[in-house]
Amino acid sequence: MQEESEVRKEREAKDDGRYIIFYTFDDEEEGED
Amino acid sequence: MNQLRWDPTMREWVAYATHRQDRTFLPPAEYCPLCPTKPGGFPTEVPRESYEIAVFENKFPSFAPNAQVPEEPGTTLTPTAPGRGICEVVLYSDDHDSTLATMSERRIRNLIEVWADRYEELGALDFVDYVFIFENKGEAIGVTLHHPHGQIYGYPFIPPRPAKELGAAREYRAQNDEHCLHCELLSQEHEDARRILIRGEHVTAFVPFYAHFPFEAHVYAHRCAPSIADLEPEERSDLASVLKRLLAGYDSLFGFSLPYMMVMHQAPTDGGDYDGVAHFHIEFYPPNRTADKLKYLAGSETGAGAYIMDVLPERTAETLREKIEGR
Repeated sequence: MQEESEVRKEREAKDDGRYIIFYTFDDEEEGED
Repeated sequence: MNQLRWDPTMREWVAYATHRQDRTFLPPAEYCPLCPTKPGGFPTEVPRESYEIAVFENKFPSFAPNAQVPEEPGTTLTPTAPGRGICEVVLYSDDHDSTLATMSERRIRNLIEVWADRYEELGALDFVDYVFIFENKGEAIGVTLHHPHGQIYGYPFIPPRPAKELGAAREYRAQNDEHCLHCELLSQEHEDARRILIRGEHVTAFVPFYAHFPFEAHVYAHRCAPSIADLEPEERSDLASVLKRLLAGYDSLFGFSLPYMMVMHQAPTDGGDYDGVAHFHIEFYPPNRTADKLKYLAGSETGAGAYIMDVLPERTAETLREKIEGR
């Protein structure tokens, strides 16, 4: 069972005015299963 | 151009977004617009060298926040309206070759946090009445980009299928001592057990009694939570676990990464009261009948709205359950 992790949310404007949001988590693992 | 036209015969809006004809179609992997932008490489949608999960406004949106009043005025019988809404792309990973099924349970758990955040943020917009989170996977479904991603449409109306489902649930509730239709369906599935795929502590995956696709699966929260944002941390964790197992089972079915449509049904964000009516759940519709045969939505399904199936849900549930359990 996975526990809740802290999330960071960074919102940026792209060159054409659209937004992009980056979500990062304090416990994110490298690689896949 | 984002324009809505009313179909009075079906009582539903049809969205026109003519700029979507020019969208990127199955580019080679080295020109994937959803991969990170590498130093010296071509600029993709993501101006970073790596990322975990990212969300951005779709370059070719079916609905747009700044949609104008259509030049085509329509008539009283067939009015038009601005296609005002919002469309986002959700990038599950910066690994081009991964899929939701191959991702870690932890990544799926984090993705659930992102989906919940998007539901709340987009649902708070005054022009969004329904936040629809979905994924089209595989060329059989018509995807134009292979990079693992899903989409979110913030509709300016409650779309027909969720509206029909909500209407049925509201009527059932009124006629059955305020009981939730979905809670009762889940209870019936638990009691019968033949179509259960995975029974978690807080979430259950099953093939519905009335499946419209051979390997259709529904994933229900046990508690009557109206939306993904209403799920408690332990429910979100169990959802990640159940999704991981279900998707691994799907990929074991025929020995290849199974195409599917994944959609989330939850409470509209139009200010209405949906307690006991909306019950968060996810529906998967894989198109494959067999490894090399697809279920097409042909004359009866598309023209009459009547699905014809050639395999019983009990049989597909048994097959899929064996794969999930590794038998």
